[in-house]
Amino acid sequence: MCLSQHFSTYLVQGLANGFLYALIALGYTLVYGVLQLINFAHSEVFMAGGFGGVLVANHVTHGQPHGFMSVLIVVAGLLGGGIVGAATAFVLERVAYRPLRRRNAPKLAYLISAIGASFFLQTMAGKEFGRNGYDIAPAYTNGTVFTIFGAQVQTIDLVFAGAGIAMMLLLDRIVAKTRLGQGIRAVAQDADTAGLMGVNIDRVIAVTFILGGLLGGAAGYLFGTLNGVSYTMGTVPGIKAFTAAVLGGIGNIRGAVLGGLLLGVVESLAISCINTDWTDVISFIVLVLVLLVRPTGLLGERLGRSA
Amino acid sequence: MRTGRSLRLVAPLALAAIAATACGSSSSGGSGNGGGSGSGSEPTFTIAYQGPLSGGNQQLGLNMSYAVKLAINQANAGTTFGTLPFKLAFAQEDDQGSSTAAPAAVAKILQISNLIAVVGPAFSGATAASEPAYSKADVATVSPSATDPTLATSGWHNFFRVVADDDAQGPADAQYMAKTAGLKKVYVIDDASTYGAGLAKAFVGAASGDGLTVVKHDTAPGTTQCQAGSGNVQQYGPLAQKVKQSGADSVFYAGYYCDFALLAKQLRSAGFTGQLVSDDGSNDPHYVSSAGASVANGTLLSCACQETITSPGFKAFAPQFKSLAGFASGTYSAEAYDATNAIIDAMKSLGANPTKAGVISALHSPGFSYQGISKTVKFAANGNYAGSAVYMYKVENGTIKELGLIGASS
Amino acid sequence: MSAASAPVAVRRPGLLASPHLKRLLTCLMVGVVLALLTGKSGSNQHPASGITGTFKSANAYVWIAAGAVLWAAITGWQWRGVAVAETYRGLSARPRAVWAMRPVRYPSYAVLLLAAIIVPNWLNGFWQEVLVGQIAPYVLLAIGLNVVVGFAGLLDLGYIAFYAVGAYSAAYWTNQLPAHPPFTVNVFWAFPLAVVAAMLAGVILGAPTLRLRGDYLAIVTLGFGEIIQLVAANSKSVTNGSEGVAPNSVPNFSFHALGIHYTWPLEVLPGGHMPWYYLILGIIVVVVILFHLLENSRVGRAWVAIREDEVAAEACGINPLKYKVMAFAIGASTSGLAGVFFASKTGVFDPSSFPFQQSVVVLVLVIFGGMGSLPGAIIGAAVLQYLPQLLRSHIQQPDLYAYYGVILIAMMIFRPQGVWPSRRRAREIAQAEAGVGGADALGAPGAAP
Repeated sequence: MCLSQHFSTYLVQGLANGFLYALIALGYTLVYGVLQLINFAHSEVFMAGGFGGVLVANHVTHGQPHGFMSVLIVVAGLLGGGIVGAATAFVLERVAYRPLRRRNAPKLAYLISAIGASFFLQTMAGKEFGRNGYDIAPAYTNGTVFTIFGAQVQTIDLVFAGAGIAMMLLLDRIVAKTRLGQGIRAVAQDADTAGLMGVNIDRVIAVTFILGGLLGGAAGYLFGTLNGVSYTMGTVPGIKAFTAAVLGGIGNIRGAVLGGLLLGVVESLAISCINTDWTDVISFIVLVLVLLVRPTGLLGERLGRSA
Repeated sequence: MRTGRSLRLVAPLALAAIAATACGSSSSGGSGNGGGSGSGSEPTFTIAYQGPLSGGNQQLGLNMSYAVKLAINQANAGTTFGTLPFKLAFAQEDDQGSSTAAPAAVAKILQISNLIAVVGPAFSGATAASEPAYSKADVATVSPSATDPTLATSGWHNFFRVVADDDAQGPADAQYMAKTAGLKKVYVIDDASTYGAGLAKAFVGAASGDGLTVVKHDTAPGTTQCQAGSGNVQQYGPLAQKVKQSGADSVFYAGYYCDFALLAKQLRSAGFTGQLVSDDGSNDPHYVSSAGASVANGTLLSCACQETITSPGFKAFAPQFKSLAGFASGTYSAEAYDATNAIIDAMKSLGANPTKAGVISALHSPGFSYQGISKTVKFAANGNYAGSAVYMYKVENGTIKELGLIGASS
Repeated sequence: MSAASAPVAVRRPGLLASPHLKRLLTCLMVGVVLALLTGKSGSNQHPASGITGTFKSANAYVWIAAGAVLWAAITGWQWRGVAVAETYRGLSARPRAVWAMRPVRYPSYAVLLLAAIIVPNWLNGFWQEVLVGQIAPYVLLAIGLNVVVGFAGLLDLGYIAFYAVGAYSAAYWTNQLPAHPPFTVNVFWAFPLAVVAAMLAGVILGAPTLRLRGDYLAIVTLGFGEIIQLVAANSKSVTNGSEGVAPNSVPNFSFHALGIHYTWPLEVLPGGHMPWYYLILGIIVVVVILFHLLENSRVGRAWVAIREDEVAAEACGINPLKYKVMAFAIGASTSGLAGVFFASKTGVFDPSSFPFQQSVVVLVLVIFGGMGSLPGAIIGAAVLQYLPQLLRSHIQQPDLYAYYGVILIAMMIFRPQGVWPSRRRAREIAQAEAGVGGADALGAPGAAP
């Protein structure tokens, strides 16, 4: 009964959330593809992007922007968030991962180092910028753009979807067509052989982190326009996005997108049916079940093969 | 053998640790004694403040701690109580507002040899974890802000508070919504915190008696966005749709301002036009600034506190607070000031040599009454504030305006 | 250095690749990080004030200078490296040889234990509270997690969930929850009951998930920790939901038998905490002895085998899943023990008393002390739980997590075996880094590292 009523409304809500999950999930998936490593600190890259977005967007926004100005501000915010996110991811790789890779450390060491980086970044953001939230000045007037099957689609939903789709297409093309993408796929398939073939593995890994950071940081800005930015904002979206990445098949770019959208919709529908407090339990149960029943995810997990 | 090498590394560390501990303990004991007998004829007593002095709730803690400090300064200067036969000292300890960090803070405070009473603990969970030790040590604690009803019924003879508890606030809100605001159907949401869940329960329990139908009591865990909880901020979009479709004409949110602002934004964005009502946790200027004035305007916020107080005492208090603290007084500043002065008043009645146990019985004595700046401080037998003091506020043109006292006296 | 000697050879990549310059940059960066850590905090009103305030104070430059001095020390050390290493080895050989002798080692343990019994009596009430409330329970938690992370090589990020299981078990069996037990027992009986409950929870979680690749396991345990917290918060009719256990409800430990009636007092008077301390010290001693025996038993050797090479271990007839589940359950039950103690001592808790951060804090203690090393876990917990209280007035408590983060990264980079390593674990890490064998049970079964 709960599903039939206003189904489309919840679907739209879920898709808007899903695009965010997907953007963050891509960061997990890219890094996992080349390093077979869960970048635990990716949630803080997302958070850093949020702060970058605040900085840029609040600097360029004056009054209530309209029309073309709004588009410019959104693009500036995405870039600001993306660049700060990319920089954070780059430094993260340099400081927390590369020394371990040099030493060929056991996998446990990477995970622990990543958790440490996550704690450090989160706490320092709170210490330096204050522990209350920041708000991003609205770049556009939110309102209902059109109604489809009874669901009101708002400007913000379209911005999420538009920005999400544009960035994902760009990433997909980069990985599929460019020389850089070729390098990423080669390292993902077999790092040692790729190294022997003359691929600069360090560079490919750094670029992978930067790409993931760009998307995660841009997602941080988008998220911030809706919910504000605070130092703890990364934790839950990070876990959700990881769930999404696993759901779609970690290491698989299209899988991450599918997983993100699916998780967003499942959560939204769950809220419509049961008490809100159980939805997080549901998404964790989805995670555990997927890992147990089909650990390779819905679309399989190799970046090298399916991208 | 396998530990030999690192033994050399660790042994000095351990020695240093023991040395530091020993030094720490001896120095703190020494300074405490010195303080007690240092000022010659007049003995010195310490009133300590315990509350969150770091982290996300730091501002709330500072609002209170500076008020305590101000009250002590004024008493020492003789402006509030005339010449006292003793001097007062101020101390503060950070419990982060959490029940797990509180016992260490309590132990630290109890090391003060001339301790006479405590203002605080600020938060309910921390209070619950602190009182066993305070009650064993016979230290009166007067909380400016802990509103959990169970605190007064746990059998602590030393527990006092100068705010009305949630059992007073929830029903007062329900009554106001039904009788004064004329609302019929309310959608209740709590934030799954100890505070929010308790308040929502008290609200729901009283609502139907006032003719207010609770359409649904939902729980949306406080989000990580706001440090208060572990919830997912993405829940508010779908939740707002659910509220809109429930046909409720109002929402009562039991929780804190940060999450309430996010929810309010989503509710308005989903097209919900009903009345928004929340509690003292949301009664914060940050609610208006992060939700935006256009969303926040019209919101009703209750509080067991009186902020924009018109009493002459408060008019004198506000500039003095600002010159001491460097920022304007805020939520619970007035209550902390009154709590401190109530303690000093009780001490005064005990003459030149008040004792910790003496303060407790003085506060308990039926005749005890102190005219504070927020209310006349009087205590019921279980330590609760005697009387009801729930005030309603409304957001108008982007600022929180006081509407006045609500609810029947308890 | 090489760049300066021959101008012809000056190439930028060469200069940047110089290990000395790199190390100098690293050391200076460490100085900057420490300066920021210990420096001023910003605020929402003045977001940049933390950073500008830090670098306006002299402290920051002391830290950066300390970084430079560190660099000089390391460089100097390396320069005369051989000689220093020789001297060091010569100096440390003798104590090591002495420590290796059982007639020395076992009396030393006895002396340490005696010190642990007597010395706390001299501490003041605050330090006794720290000992009982902050240090001892975390020592117990660290010893338990050490079995999972250290002995079995599995990463458990939901460890505090079992602590919650223990605490809620204590509340349930003493009839302090909305759900009533079949019979009410003394809190002491909550110990075995909570151990069983936590162990069951460990097996239920472990049996299906331990087949997963190790990094997935980390996430699943994290998810499980969250689920436990959420379920505790949502099941109002069972756990009283987020309102938690009512204040003062879980009774303090008491003993009523053989004509003796004794209740553990809760006072912050000097000595008021000692009965609690002796109780948990007793528990710790028993658990340490048990784990020491376990480490050197068949089970302990199986864990070593799985850690070093799971495929080979399986080929030798060891069932990896069985031993992993066993490690998980043993770790969980230790956590449950600590939970009972916490519940009775604090008397009040709610689901938010068991956040994810606490799981990581326990992990930090184990990593710092040395994975797989019992003394390491104890030292790690004792030192890292002690220092924040010592520096109470200098470090804001919420900033602690940044320090923990730095410790985790620094340990992984510079000393992955911990300050007091187990020799076997240190060797495994060295071997894994050289490409021989593994040092954890995190790889996909059968996959190359």
